[in-house]
Amino acid sequence: MEITWQLLLMQFIFGLSIGSIYILVAGGLSIILGLLDVVNFAHGTFYMLGAYTLYVLISLSGNFWVGVVSAVIIVSLIGGLTERLLLKPLYPRGIFYPLFMTFGFSICIPDLIKIIFGLTGKGIGYPAGFMGAFLLGPIIIPKYRLFIIGLTFVTFLGLWLFLKKSNLGMIIRAATRDSLMVEVLGINISRIWTFGFMLGIGLAALAGAISAPMVSAIPDMGLDILIDSFVVVVIGGLGSLSGAVIGSLLVGQVVSFVSLFAPAFSHAAIFLVMGLVLILRPRGLLGEEGRF
Amino acid sequence: MNFLGAEDGQAHMGAGKEGKKGLVHPVVWVTLIVFLLLPLVISKPLATEILIYSVFALAFNLLLGHTGVLSFGHAAYFGLGSYTAGIMYRYFNAPVFVGLIAAMTVGALIAAGIGAVSIKKKGVYFAMISLAFAQMFYFLAFSPLSNWTGGECGLKSIPKLKLDYPFHVDLMSSWNLYYFTFLIAALAIVILWRIFDSPFGRVLQGIRENEERVTACGYNMVLIKFVSLIFSGAFSALAGSLLTVYLGYVPISTLFWMTSGMILLMTLLGGIHTFIGPVVGVGVFQILQSTISSYVERWEFFVGALFMALVLFFPEGIVGTIKTKYEGGRKTVHE
Repeated sequence: MEITWQLLLMQFIFGLSIGSIYILVAGGLSIILGLLDVVNFAHGTFYMLGAYTLYVLISLSGNFWVGVVSAVIIVSLIGGLTERLLLKPLYPRGIFYPLFMTFGFSICIPDLIKIIFGLTGKGIGYPAGFMGAFLLGPIIIPKYRLFIIGLTFVTFLGLWLFLKKSNLGMIIRAATRDSLMVEVLGINISRIWTFGFMLGIGLAALAGAISAPMVSAIPDMGLDILIDSFVVVVIGGLGSLSGAVIGSLLVGQVVSFVSLFAPAFSHAAIFLVMGLVLILRPRGLLGEEGRF
Repeated sequence: MNFLGAEDGQAHMGAGKEGKKGLVHPVVWVTLIVFLLLPLVISKPLATEILIYSVFALAFNLLLGHTGVLSFGHAAYFGLGSYTAGIMYRYFNAPVFVGLIAAMTVGALIAAGIGAVSIKKKGVYFAMISLAFAQMFYFLAFSPLSNWTGGECGLKSIPKLKLDYPFHVDLMSSWNLYYFTFLIAALAIVILWRIFDSPFGRVLQGIRENEERVTACGYNMVLIKFVSLIFSGAFSALAGSLLTVYLGYVPISTLFWMTSGMILLMTLLGGIHTFIGPVVGVGVFQILQSTISSYVERWEFFVGALFMALVLFFPEGIVGTIKTKYEGGRKTVHE
């Protein structure tokens, strides 16, 4: 195989689109981790629920865009309910029990989906106008991948503005640093936690919904992306949102280029990067010194 | 219980006069006797699996229940132990014991490596990192190293195992296999009890209850956690190698993260704050699995729901709940 600059560019764009999905999933994971101190093992499950909800909504409404927006809202609401009913009673019991709960959830729910929808995946069509690809000489750039990159950019710009400029965003940032102090100031912290959890779940559901046309909705689709997101968050720095973005972009490129040059290592490579980061810079690329 | 409660517990341990303790606590003796007679009651393969996973769960709980460190990647030590033993038997025709010792060594070394870069991380973050490392080994065994590990199919064609020393024992017979596993597992259980009951074990429980206080007492907390991880890794690997001896091949699922999840579930089911709880959890879960998994179509759904119910309603597990009832709400670490 000849390595040309076109091939490298194509691989770069593929890596960027993989990284975009990671940004959404790991970004949500990082918000929940920072705010609630819960490692959400069910994050991949909500990603999967995003894809399945989209599948159901498309078969009901027939419109992809309506489907994506409603899927995000519906799955966030399920997430909020989960936090209220299943996680909240466990906070007084220490840091491990909420994690155990999300782990149980992540075993149980994919199996429930198998019972309802069957073992095989459900295909979801590309939205009108985003089929096909741009041809730049010998290289192919699928339109839908560019759309994913663009959508992630816009979503994160919105999220950044929300966290930096709005009052609620400010409270969330403050609670991420010191939730006790925020509570002392007279803010209902448990609502902030529920909202933060829903925000994180919404991002995961969005990622699941928009990747569905490329990979189909499969019951076990959340597993690999969950563990990849852990790696991203560790590389980027625990609890740091901008770290999660940098980590996602890095991991996206690693996955894309390793699968080009050494396909056998495509899965193991990102863990080696994680090990390297932990040795050279234990707090992660943008992590705070001493917090975790 | 509080930090000082550990010494309270020692006082009513029941071994008689002060300063005079038996080899192990009576409850451990009872457990060993139950294991001695177990294959008369249930099938030998099931009993062997219960033994193997009991060692694994006790090693895992040394870290989770007694030190308060959650490793979500214990499949790494179990699986690498399995593969180490398998590779020793398959490629080097090693004697059975050499395989077991090699597995323990590898388990300890890998635990030291993972611990060196991550044991300082707090609480749940260590869980995340340990899971990621475990998946790394899974994917390494899956394809880049598949020439050695057999990839997706697992490591097969391990020669038939037998003991040459001190006696000639054919390990193909299920009776011999059970009692061989029993001897090794009993030794491991006794050693784990001695670790748990030693001054070092007390410090571990102190870390679980109050890290700051242990640090203030002058202990190097990171080092102690690190040593605890190495013990846990070595004994988990021993359990893995026993699985290789028992199965005669190494399934790749030993390295899969679900193995880490299952050992957590079984440990939690029995009760993490007691020494013997994990063994009870393993026994109940394995018997449950072998009897009802053939009737329940979606076994994982059932397992997940069981797990969630446990976390919500019985966080102390079977043994923990019974003990709390029996002792009128008093909580101690000892049986």
